[in-house]
Amino acid sequence: MAMPLLQVIDQRTYFETGRGLLRAVDGVDFELHQGRTLGVVGESGCGKTVLARSIMGLLPSNTRVGEGSRIIFDGRDLGALDEKSLRALRGSEIAMIFQDPMTSLNPVLTVGKQIGETLIRHHGLSRHAARGRAVELLRDVGIPQPEVRVDQYPHQLSGGMRQRVAIAIALSCQPRLLIADEPTTALDVTVQADILDLLRRQQIERDMSMILITHDMGVVAGRSDEVAVMYAGRIVEWAETPELFRNTRMPYTAALLNSIPRVDDPPHRRIDAIAGRPPDLIHPPKGCLFAPRCGHVEQRCRRHSPPLQLASDGTHAQACWFPQSVGTTP
Amino acid sequence: MNRQRQDDHDIILAVRDLVVEHDGGDGRTVHAVSGISFDIRRGETLGLVGESGCGKTSAARAVMQLPRPTRGSVHLEGMNLAALPRKDLRPLRAKFQMIFQDPIASLNPRRRVRDIVGGPLAVQGELGTEEKNRRIAEVLSDVGLNAEQTMERLPHEFSGGQCQRISLARAIILEPKLLICDEPVSALDVSVQAQILNLLEEMKARHALTMLFISHDLAVVKHISDRVAVMYLGKLCELAPAEELYRHPGHPYTAALLAAVPAPDPKRPLGRIDMVAGELPSPTDPPSGCRFRTRCPHAQPLCAEQEPKAGEVSPGHTIACHFPLSG
Repeated sequence: MAMPLLQVIDQRTYFETGRGLLRAVDGVDFELHQGRTLGVVGESGCGKTVLARSIMGLLPSNTRVGEGSRIIFDGRDLGALDEKSLRALRGSEIAMIFQDPMTSLNPVLTVGKQIGETLIRHHGLSRHAARGRAVELLRDVGIPQPEVRVDQYPHQLSGGMRQRVAIAIALSCQPRLLIADEPTTALDVTVQADILDLLRRQQIERDMSMILITHDMGVVAGRSDEVAVMYAGRIVEWAETPELFRNTRMPYTAALLNSIPRVDDPPHRRIDAIAGRPPDLIHPPKGCLFAPRCGHVEQRCRRHSPPLQLASDGTHAQACWFPQSVGTTP
Repeated sequence: MNRQRQDDHDIILAVRDLVVEHDGGDGRTVHAVSGISFDIRRGETLGLVGESGCGKTSAARAVMQLPRPTRGSVHLEGMNLAALPRKDLRPLRAKFQMIFQDPIASLNPRRRVRDIVGGPLAVQGELGTEEKNRRIAEVLSDVGLNAEQTMERLPHEFSGGQCQRISLARAIILEPKLLICDEPVSALDVSVQAQILNLLEEMKARHALTMLFISHDLAVVKHISDRVAVMYLGKLCELAPAEELYRHPGHPYTAALLAAVPAPDPKRPLGRIDMVAGELPSPTDPPSGCRFRTRCPHAQPLCAEQEPKAGEVSPGHTIACHFPLSG
């Protein structure tokens, strides 16, 4: 198999806080090949956003990164690059979109200027050419009347339109990796479906790799090739998307799937909620971090932390001493 | 219609031709809610679903008389709240309570849980401290909190899910007839959301509550509701028993909403959303006739000329559409 586009090796991203060291990402390993979409799923505080920001090199000053942590992009160790080379990489080869498009859009610049800016900077296009390309990109992301919209300001657009503009900016330099952090969480459900389809289409057309971060299992179900489930700063299960849903092994993933209300369920069905709360990441318990909430817990789980173990056929990995096989989709 | 007459005495909330309009700031009127009518029967949960800006929160607040609706009536157990003078409304507020989306912001950060939850007891006049504490402790343990450990603490010491439990305790301490829930689980993680949904069902049974449950999430609404109403741009499109609405959506907007729900199942084909691309029209200038027509794939000239009236297609299933979907 070809070399992966992205390799994350033993990523540890800790934050110094008044109470002690917070282990936001605590030993994450994965690979992502070109043209693939990885869904990263987990609840708030599981470390999915910090993981994305670690890859982008966008971390606050109180961050402590583990000594053995490596992020290799296209053969280059990002930790070894200077700030200038990193900046050149961000936006051109790795791009990111966020939950709230307004955080990445400049309210006082027209849409066209913002798209053009990156093209002028990274690709040396002329102003005129950049504007033309901006109109094309707006059309690509499904914005009606792109030649009118190109001269408008973000506040003149709806939330869905703004996210499309943010996507157009992210795509403008033909990145090889797009990181989308909860790109549709702030949007209405009908708009969400359009934006997810747009991302998937662009990812396939451009043969990009994509990391789709979400709290919603429904979002990754139809629109990713593989899924990593995160809990308390770690990947607890990874598999090809259909395999993960068909053959769920890690009790946390199973519990998460069971706690989602579904439109096909009859009204008033009692949902299997997960009791308790995620652990304190400053003083994590010993052993498996899900053990205190797990329905299948054994002595060993409370003593020793299970590593993420790849099955022999290489299609499924779980961090669990006693993996289950509970297909949640009939 | 016989059935309806029998049920009349069992209707706790009757909303008729509710209109909420406010000043858009530029001299234009925002038509947030434009004449909606519905009933809620005793012990029933009515779900109200729609996307942002459809007027569902405005409708809920108008039922609460916060602020009062522009026009229309809101009868709670036969009494028209919209017509009552302020001084007569106040003592009645114990009967209808509300919980909100942001559980942390809806609690006063400077007050202890004891005072937050016990606050509403003040309307019952002088209660002894002991009696008060007993009732606070009782309702806290009812919503799954350890009274001893929570009473003296401040809201910021609790998680979102716990804060929503505290809000719920405050809302039910006076044993209201009607509980209005405005997106109560939208800000919560799925595992916590499930806990709160289960809790709401338990509370409903234990306290004989009747609920109006507002959400943008169709799966959540189906879980908790007996009947579901769908709103679009200030109007009700469709109202039906939950199972019926999800199985046989008759309004093109309901069908589009259902198709857009991302199912946590990769084998389920992604639904095709049958809706004209574009933006939600502005509530300051809603389309003539049917408000959905600008995005409806089945729109005909009639839809622009005449507003469709809600018609019953099967018992309890009403659709406001000139050309409802069949099957």
